[in-house]
Amino acid sequence: MKLINLLLTIKTTKLIKPIKLIMPLKFLVFALPLLLCGCTNLNDMNRKELDEINFIHAMGIDYEEGEYTLSAIYSSDSGADPEKGKAGKEDIMEASGATPYEAFEELRLKSKKIVSVANTGYFLIGDSAARSGIKECLDFISHDETIKMESLIFVTKEMAAKDFLGMGIENEQTIQADLEAVEQKQLRLITRNDNTLINLLNEMRQGYYSLLIPYLVSEENAFLIRGYAVFDELELKDYLDMDTSSGINFVRNIVRAYPIYPEAGISLSLTFSNTKLKSDLEDGDVKVRIEVYFETMIEEAYADVNIFTAENLSRLTARQNKYIEDIIKKAADYSAETGLDIFRISRLVENEHEGEWEKLKGSWKESISKIKYEYDLRSKISKSFIY
Amino acid sequence: MEKIINSAEIKELFKDSSDIGLRLIKISQNNIKIHIFCVDGLVNTQLLDEAILRNLKMDPYLSGCLTERMLMDYLLEAGAYHAFTKEETDYDNLLRAVLSGMAAIIFDGEKKAIIYDLRSFETRSIQAPEEEGVIKGAKDSFIEAMRVNTALIRRRIKSEFLVVELLCAGRLSKTDISLVYLSNVADMGKVAMIRDAISKIDIDNISTPAFIEEYLVENKRSIFPQIMYTQRPDRAAANLSDGRIALVVDGMPFVYILPCQLVMLMQSPEDYANHFFVGSSLRFIRYIAMIITLFLPAFYIAATTFQSQMLPVQLALSIQAAKQSVPFSSAAEVIGLLIAFELLIEAGLRLPKAVGTAISILGGVVIGQSAVAANLISPAVVVIVALAGIAGFVMPNQDLSSGIRVSRFMLAVLACVGGFLGLAFGLIILILHLCGLDNFGTAYMSPFVDADKRDHKDTLFRYPIRFFGKRPPDTAPVNQTKQN
Repeated sequence: MKLINLLLTIKTTKLIKPIKLIMPLKFLVFALPLLLCGCTNLNDMNRKELDEINFIHAMGIDYEEGEYTLSAIYSSDSGADPEKGKAGKEDIMEASGATPYEAFEELRLKSKKIVSVANTGYFLIGDSAARSGIKECLDFISHDETIKMESLIFVTKEMAAKDFLGMGIENEQTIQADLEAVEQKQLRLITRNDNTLINLLNEMRQGYYSLLIPYLVSEENAFLIRGYAVFDELELKDYLDMDTSSGINFVRNIVRAYPIYPEAGISLSLTFSNTKLKSDLEDGDVKVRIEVYFETMIEEAYADVNIFTAENLSRLTARQNKYIEDIIKKAADYSAETGLDIFRISRLVENEHEGEWEKLKGSWKESISKIKYEYDLRSKISKSFIY
Repeated sequence: MEKIINSAEIKELFKDSSDIGLRLIKISQNNIKIHIFCVDGLVNTQLLDEAILRNLKMDPYLSGCLTERMLMDYLLEAGAYHAFTKEETDYDNLLRAVLSGMAAIIFDGEKKAIIYDLRSFETRSIQAPEEEGVIKGAKDSFIEAMRVNTALIRRRIKSEFLVVELLCAGRLSKTDISLVYLSNVADMGKVAMIRDAISKIDIDNISTPAFIEEYLVENKRSIFPQIMYTQRPDRAAANLSDGRIALVVDGMPFVYILPCQLVMLMQSPEDYANHFFVGSSLRFIRYIAMIITLFLPAFYIAATTFQSQMLPVQLALSIQAAKQSVPFSSAAEVIGLLIAFELLIEAGLRLPKAVGTAISILGGVVIGQSAVAANLISPAVVVIVALAGIAGFVMPNQDLSSGIRVSRFMLAVLACVGGFLGLAFGLIILILHLCGLDNFGTAYMSPFVDADKRDHKDTLFRYPIRFFGKRPPDTAPVNQTKQN
């Protein structure tokens, strides 16, 4: 009997052990691939050949008379060179609907091939759509992780996005390449692109500071960024000029390069910049100290005087401090005038004065105009290697 | 019934073999009859004449040997001028010795024989290794003669601890196998395991390497090589001093090294001939090449057929434009071209060199230009498959290269079925499989999978030599100190 019991125990333990091992192994083999490749969406499992897809390079979103219109830029078959791997000429395709998604479904119906926005790098919001509320425009693309992480959002200044893109096609511009050039230029001036969809969605979740999206203008067959479109409660309020937008960039500490023209015949270029913000609360009033340290390099100097003397360099340093202070002040004045928190001061106060923020946040809109700014700008001019 | 040594029986046994020599010699000095037994072509006849026969006929001291036993004792002591002499009493051993090229004098009365190692058969001269050639390093390689190969190893390790143990396998071929190890370094448990594995080889003829390899590997279903071979004596010596065990098989121009790990297969002698930074860079590139050759075709299929969002838009558009006129799916293009690539390799290998080159050129032109011009395949696929093919040839070990090539097909098929899901599935299966391989008590993926023995100084990168203070703990568990 004892022997039978022993045999049974051996048998069962021998069986249970492999089962215990096999189950997690099976789970691992089947579950890990799903997790690794992010195949939670079954649409990803649909086989579609590359030549059956209409890749949308850029998409415009407009709102007019209660209807959303999507304008999609894609590569048509005409002009394609298979041997050289050259894509066909860009074309525009439009579709409308009561919501942006309805318009997108209409676009899918109209297209000869499968429409894919997975690789769409640029979404352009038309002026009227931005004024009617940006949330509705972006919602239908906010569920795709790739778009969220990669795509950039722009506003077309005082123009419908379809007209803006249409004009580009008419002028025989390459929309995709031109928008890429815009992105490159943007990254030359600032350290990061804050207009990715994921950033904008994060910013849209809070309601205290203004949403800023770069706006595009079309000049001489090229797309240019001229500044920020400023939103209040997710509706477009204004277009900021270049200086005010640069002032915001300095306060946000994202400036990579910036030209400074302190005097006639002298041009400097910014090589380094670091901004620190500090907030103080005095009797419920917010006081913000903006400390900027930056370094510049002389790029152009054809003035009559020798600017490389200690005295002249000191004068130029003071001038460039004033130059930058002025553009920051301009942005601060705009904020005070309009009551829009373009510097994200609310976040600063919330972080630095957590307890007081609870009392302040109810009347934050009114407090913005009363914010007192203090400026502390220090800089250094590096000599170029010519001297 | 145990057979006894007898010339008549041997004569009967080999009566139809013209190359077997069994010559009766009557020693005039004492009237004793003996037989010289050897194989024509395998023995050095000049040495046989001068060192053995001449003495048997001319040596005056033989007259004092009144019995066969006395004669045997005299010959074993000093009577024949040859260094390697042995008395044999076993009939099977005698046959094996003579058939492997030795000469024997049979004493029917005593039922014994004296064996002289007079082997001298035609061998290839020692040349530069074809597979593991280096610019800076030794240029000799193993040949088909086992004894020459063991001598090449002995030349590099002049240690009394170097053991060259003679084993035999193959019922008909009776192939000599030398088990070589350093007795003060190697794990004797592993030596015993290998000896046991060789003794279990029960096959009539060991004609190709697979007959040995398939008996020695533990996981016979794995397509990855679990036994390393080298043509280089310096590499064999280096592995022996790390505690590994070498198998020198007669008739094979390389030496097996056991136990084998994946990292060993990714090492090249060139890594140690250059500055450690150069060596490390080359090795790292090799690992990148392994990833490229294994995953690039599958990645392309997955990205172009299932998850096109993985591609940058410009690249997607370029591939799309190139693919527009091609009637086949991306998967068919890639797999078809991979098969064509394999056909070209096979054709190049099997044909004579001159024709092989022509085939390569023809294949290159047909696939590279004509097929693209005829819109049968897109240029992107040619680039992908060519890149994967070239990366595959970077592998220093051809067995590993072949294993990776087969895996590449499997991953490509999985990518056809499930895109990146299939690819991830294949990758996990591959990792599980590799991690599960075990080679004479050593993990195939060691040291990557050893939690407690993390010796990564010679894995992805090659550290400077001064860091190699210890031998691998898996192969040399006792004597670990390599340098102070």
